[in-house]
Amino acid sequence: MFSKATLKERRQYYREEWSVKDLPDFITDNITKREFGFDHLGQGPNDRYRTFKGKESLRKFLRYKAPFAAYISVAFYNNPKKRQDWLKAEYIFDVDAKDIPIRSCQCDSVCEVCLGEALEIVNTLIDDLEGDLGLNNIHLIYSGRGYHIRILDEEMMTAGSELRGEVLKYAAGAEIPNTTFSNSSASNTSFNFEHFSIPVGYSRLFTQKVKYNIQHLVGNEQLDGINPKLMKDIMKYRHFLDDNKWGLFKSNIGPRRYKNLVEAMAKVNLSTIDAKVSIDLKRILRLPSSLHSKVSMKCVEVKNRETFDPFKEAVPKFVYERKD
Amino acid sequence: MVSLSFINPLSNEGREILKDYGDLNQLDNEDESLIEEVIHTQNQKISDDDIIPKSYKQLALKRIQWAIEKKNNKNYSQQEFEYLFNGDLYRQDVVAFHILSQAIAMEFNITSRETRLFIESQGRLIEERLAKIPPANRSEIIDDTLREIQTDGSINWKTLKDVIASKKLSLTQLLLDKGEIVLESDDFLYKFEDAFQDRPAEKMYDILVGEKLKEVILSRLIMQKTEEYIKRIKEMSKIIEIHPVIIELGEELKEFIPTEISKYNTYFAGSGGIYGTVKAGKLIREAFPPCIQKTIEGVSSGGRNDAIVLLLTSFVSYARLYPRIFAADSSVKVSDIDADLSITENEILPLIYEAADNCSPPLFDDQPQEKINIISKLGFGMHEEVNLENEGETKWYTPMSCEKIKIHLPHLCQPDKSCKGINNPLSCYTRNKFQLDKSKKAEKSD
Repeated sequence: MFSKATLKERRQYYREEWSVKDLPDFITDNITKREFGFDHLGQGPNDRYRTFKGKESLRKFLRYKAPFAAYISVAFYNNPKKRQDWLKAEYIFDVDAKDIPIRSCQCDSVCEVCLGEALEIVNTLIDDLEGDLGLNNIHLIYSGRGYHIRILDEEMMTAGSELRGEVLKYAAGAEIPNTTFSNSSASNTSFNFEHFSIPVGYSRLFTQKVKYNIQHLVGNEQLDGINPKLMKDIMKYRHFLDDNKWGLFKSNIGPRRYKNLVEAMAKVNLSTIDAKVSIDLKRILRLPSSLHSKVSMKCVEVKNRETFDPFKEAVPKFVYERKD
Repeated sequence: MVSLSFINPLSNEGREILKDYGDLNQLDNEDESLIEEVIHTQNQKISDDDIIPKSYKQLALKRIQWAIEKKNNKNYSQQEFEYLFNGDLYRQDVVAFHILSQAIAMEFNITSRETRLFIESQGRLIEERLAKIPPANRSEIIDDTLREIQTDGSINWKTLKDVIASKKLSLTQLLLDKGEIVLESDDFLYKFEDAFQDRPAEKMYDILVGEKLKEVILSRLIMQKTEEYIKRIKEMSKIIEIHPVIIELGEELKEFIPTEISKYNTYFAGSGGIYGTVKAGKLIREAFPPCIQKTIEGVSSGGRNDAIVLLLTSFVSYARLYPRIFAADSSVKVSDIDADLSITENEILPLIYEAADNCSPPLFDDQPQEKINIISKLGFGMHEEVNLENEGETKWYTPMSCEKIKIHLPHLCQPDKSCKGINNPLSCYTRNKFQLDKSKKAEKSD
């Protein structure tokens, strides 16, 4: 694993292991409306604008070409061959393990630890997308080096980039929650509540993500807005968060520096997800069931996101047959 | 009880009032009943005769003046505009709203500062009018208006998707549960009572939701409906002849708005707002906003392409050639300003290429095709050089907004003081440049 697949291995995979049954239904439904893209030489997907009449023609193509990578558009078109007459597009959250800004492993590429952390992150994201935002028809795909959340919620499928961006900011926890509330029906004065004092709605979501980030810090991360002294103190006092003693944590950090911390965490939250992918209406994404040849892993739909283990479910047979 | 149309002039009642109004030629005529109502408005200050709107047209202009003063005048006096909150004036107010919407649709772009000023002022007016209604009646009128607009009982955030997409309302302001916006006390307690351990949940409902959230939703919905109404009028004006009085009002607003704003902020003086006064001129690097400075210093792998091709190319070209793009005709081409393309070749492209070279690794080393993409973003098609023959094959891309930069290139967005209140790096540049020019002039005169 994590080493490049040879042409022989790719052929073995597509001819002996891969089956059309591995393609998820949400991919095969309306397959004729999607654009496919392929990378044959490992230099990026330059064979684009491809279409298939059905699963069978796709099967023949994959068997014959054994591409380095295969992609499918998130968009549905009336004329996918020319990417014309756009109908709708899946809404995507792309979490790449190597790009997560706070990774306790700090490895150079990806490893078991950061892939596990990526899964934790996408699990929380899906919980909030369903629980808070009420989105449905959500599929989780292990991409080979991270996860794609592919959402086929009808309302989001027809949404433009602006709405996608707004939903992204909510689900990612990219906005600093409101702390001042004035409500004349309650009182004429205004009230101040830090995010951690409001255990519901967006404040709850934000608090959960900040806690996760802080608990996964190693202490040597370079994060915008957090200087070494603040980082040192965060590490020193983060044990208060184990019991959700946010008030003690904040008072030890100090109110001004706590504000810096919150701002920095909102940025970390946004950069955990590849936001460009979420707002793109015409992107191509790795085809579920295809081979990620760069790392010799399968891109697969995650059936049970609580128990999924890529090292058991996404390793192609040829990896076990390797001699080294 | 306040009339529904006083809160929502686009309601059925509001439309009936407009229909009954009759001849638009009388818009500029003195209207005795309007003057009477204004004079007898409780707490109305009448220190000067000019304070009183005497015709429907003047009432429309006063609405705009109120929005400008409220936003910019440090000595703003609410008592001078008290009649705008007098529910007995609802008929006149509805007419003023509709003629303003139509005039603005005829004169300004939908994204213009003037249109935004009007739409935002409508939202603010509603919030302030609601605040003045006694609590017992307020709740009823909010529920009635929400019902009439589009909601029945609970509201799913998706029904507000246009309001959210246009950023008039943020999802983070809402209390969401499985897509539904939690607005009613019973619902809140049923869903979240157990979550509050240190504070009474009833009180937290009043603080976090209460009437306030409904008011916000209501005002943002009406802002959205107003924007849609203006768009519809724009469309319809292609097939229906618009009354000359409305056209006239639009032309008057074109002078009126910048004149009023300039009383409080010299920077915004002149027709066309900030961009209207900014002339094309040599690029001043000290005036670049932080995101552009960082891009020129060089971007590392991962964000290079978008930073150079999308952000910098459009920014530099518009900053140098056409900084007033957002106030003006968006169909402009590079050669309209740089006829022989000498500025583009000698000033704009070298700066972009310099930034590309500063990237790590240098952008064109491994991605030479990005040179073609840069040319295409300037409007000269997919070619390696700018050439007048190819102009128009692609579109001259307008600069990315701060919002887009935050999403596409989050590492470049590190706002400083100069970014305050700005939503596009080009606006930041024009403001910085204006201030630099001003301080240089002051130095010279010293």
